[in-house]
Amino acid sequence: MLSLAFWYAMSRVILGWINYLAITRAPHVPASDGLTVAIFTTSSPGEPLAMFERTLAACARIDYPHTTYLLDDTRDPRCREVAEKCGAVWLDLTDLPGAKAGKINRALEMTSEEFILVLDPDHIPFPELLHRVLGQFGDPKVGFVQVAQAYYNQPRSFTAAGAADQTYAFYGPGQMGLHGHGACLAIGANCTFRRAALESVGGHGIGLAEDLVTAIRIHAKGWRSVYLPEVVSRGLVPEDLGSFYRQQLKWARGVYEVAFVELPHALRPLTGRQRLAYLAVGTYYLCGATTFLFLLFPYIYLWTGIQPASMRFGEFILAAGPVGLIATAIYLFAQRWLPGGAPERGIHWRGLVLKIGCWPVYLAGTLLALIRAEIPYVPTEKRAVRGRFLRLAWPQLLLVATYLATLVHIANVRMFDTSEGVLELTSEATWGMVAFATLPVLMSLGILFAAGQSSRAPRPDDPWDSVVLPGRAKQ
Amino acid sequence: MRRRARIALALAGIAAGVGAVYVLTAMSSAAGGPIAAGLQRTGAMVGSLEHRVRMKIRGPGRAAQLVWLDRGRGASLENPDVILLGAYDGRLPASLDGVIDLESKIGVTLPLIQLYSAWGDKAEHQFPLLMAGAIWDMGSVPVVTWEPWLTEFDGRKRTHLPLREARDSHGLAAVARGDYDFYVDEWAAAAAKFGRPFYLRFAHEMNDPYRYPWGPQNNTKEEFIDAWRRIVTRFRAAGATNVIWVWSPHVAYEYWDLYYPGAGTVDWVATGVLNFGPIAQWSRWWTFDEIFGTKYATLAGFGKPVMIAEFGSLAVGGDRAAWYMDALSDLPARYPAVRSLLFFETGSDQTVTYQKVDWRIGADTTVAASVKRAIQTWAPPAKGTQ
Repeated sequence: MLSLAFWYAMSRVILGWINYLAITRAPHVPASDGLTVAIFTTSSPGEPLAMFERTLAACARIDYPHTTYLLDDTRDPRCREVAEKCGAVWLDLTDLPGAKAGKINRALEMTSEEFILVLDPDHIPFPELLHRVLGQFGDPKVGFVQVAQAYYNQPRSFTAAGAADQTYAFYGPGQMGLHGHGACLAIGANCTFRRAALESVGGHGIGLAEDLVTAIRIHAKGWRSVYLPEVVSRGLVPEDLGSFYRQQLKWARGVYEVAFVELPHALRPLTGRQRLAYLAVGTYYLCGATTFLFLLFPYIYLWTGIQPASMRFGEFILAAGPVGLIATAIYLFAQRWLPGGAPERGIHWRGLVLKIGCWPVYLAGTLLALIRAEIPYVPTEKRAVRGRFLRLAWPQLLLVATYLATLVHIANVRMFDTSEGVLELTSEATWGMVAFATLPVLMSLGILFAAGQSSRAPRPDDPWDSVVLPGRAKQ
Repeated sequence: MRRRARIALALAGIAAGVGAVYVLTAMSSAAGGPIAAGLQRTGAMVGSLEHRVRMKIRGPGRAAQLVWLDRGRGASLENPDVILLGAYDGRLPASLDGVIDLESKIGVTLPLIQLYSAWGDKAEHQFPLLMAGAIWDMGSVPVVTWEPWLTEFDGRKRTHLPLREARDSHGLAAVARGDYDFYVDEWAAAAAKFGRPFYLRFAHEMNDPYRYPWGPQNNTKEEFIDAWRRIVTRFRAAGATNVIWVWSPHVAYEYWDLYYPGAGTVDWVATGVLNFGPIAQWSRWWTFDEIFGTKYATLAGFGKPVMIAEFGSLAVGGDRAAWYMDALSDLPARYPAVRSLLFFETGSDQTVTYQKVDWRIGADTTVAASVKRAIQTWAPPAKGTQ
């Protein structure tokens, strides 16, 4: 089991490299005039009005002629006022099933534009967005164009910085490689669809991973896709740990749903490379289960003496060291393709800490998928939410406590109970296991820090308060 | 998919993965290189450090009883004036508790502890730094019996070696030619780095044609002597002057003395004295004097201290306690050249018999008491008596 987890980790690294081999940058194609474009952005109850105001105002500044629609189910009259003030069309779409995707599908019926940009309400688009994107549809086989995601609130907390770190490589070399394989993913945000492509699959997919489902279906119908590694909007990344957990759980559960339900049906029409790419995506969140196994095995040895794997810490370093070095080198090399350029480069250690430290969330996603438990679709929080420290960090606290208890136990046993005849002979194995156990504890300390930050009162200002809208307002 | 199908799919995936991993690990397991050696040293250092911390907390351990041995003084190990007792523990590499148990039963803290180490490419074939260090930190001196199992080397990695099936035939000639210097030199360097004195018993029972591949069924005595001399030369070149060389033939076979490599490369001469009793067709109940007494004069004639490197009797076919009493009573007076005797403290020996046999003394209180009494008759007494 343990070596299985190890080989899973190895296969992730190798899949990443295979992906990097296919990296291609789509050339810019100037957009032709006269295309009809709709921008759909959605609002849900509880989301802050000021944020819509910013987003809708920025939409109005987009150069290419278009119509902006606010797909609203807040029942809040002020939403309509804001929309109309910014020149957007307000659509009242209350009581529809299927959350965001349901509203999009209903709005598709009510509109007729040839191209639809689905914009997350927290994303502030740049004026040139449509000009950069629309040219790609000159190829009639192109079904959707996805652009990079970038953020403006990542400096506001450890969680935000880590969450943003995690996405950089994905939106750079990751998606560019997927693009090369003809399998780039549609992300909920900032994806522009050809109406015909959406209609050919019966509208936008519904569910926790609606975006991924939609991409797979459109590919299965033979449409092509384009990924543009360009920053033409900036949005929000979760600032507090609780929101990050909820977002990740939603994604993990959703991605599994796709792997279990969508992929088996869609496999046949996909190309081999698309299958591999989607399989890689579908199994991404297994990292929670494998981290848990890695976490567990030193404790099994330290408390029972049973050695679940015959690998000693030294041998592990020897085997994993070169791979780790090469992987890091390739990771750093691949940073030349980061869409945001220099500010996004670096050792993304916060992202790593969040990924390893949040294993309970990913594990929960895996288990929930296995027993087919449903979790509701809720938009990710736009404002930081003050969480209770214990609620956020109990698994990590439990781990640190277990670790400390284990240290005391081991020191006590070895100083007072172990015979001199075995002490030194078992020393390397024992302390090697302690070293194994230390690595995830270090990661958990990062989570404890993030949880501490998230349990204090959030900053009084909203992240969008300080945003200067790009471009000029049109008269 | 329904829930059951899902769980089944997940289980099938795990099973397939476990199978794949099994195949992959079966294909490779090797060690070597400077990083591996560095990690091995770090591991041993951690062990030594922990041992010292414990002695700080708990007071001096076993080593305190062996201060008299004065290991740093060359002559105390190369030509001691008392009998150095010792034992092999069949539970190595996991534990030396068998030795400690034996010591408590016979009332002596043993200055020597024997371990067996085979040639080959895997991690366990490297210089046994962890075990040697542990033995040293417990106050004793390691006796390493070093077995040239040539077929343990991986032919894919060592392309200059003949195929496995052909490797044992005149294998010692290949050792003498230097075909195995890649291994010998690395081991010698590690031994030199270990730095503390230890006994090295290379290719023991080299004159027994039925036991090990380095016997006369595959090699001539000249080939053995050449291999021995080459290895001693390589060790000296590597600076491993801390090694005390133990030449150890099987004296039950004729012409064993013709395998002697010469006084310049041998520090001790040794042999095993094991009474198997009537459990095998080729054996009967032999007394110690029957096995050892008739060969003693020749052994002592080499002018080197004599070691009984594997010493013991099984229980079937005679009075085991009496055997030990008979063997050990007045040993220093009867065989004054004998300066070391190592108990063969293993409960699961299967080297020459089909069934596991139990040589342990610690597990048999009557025998242990007999050994204890016999040792107490010695004049001068065995050092280290508790």
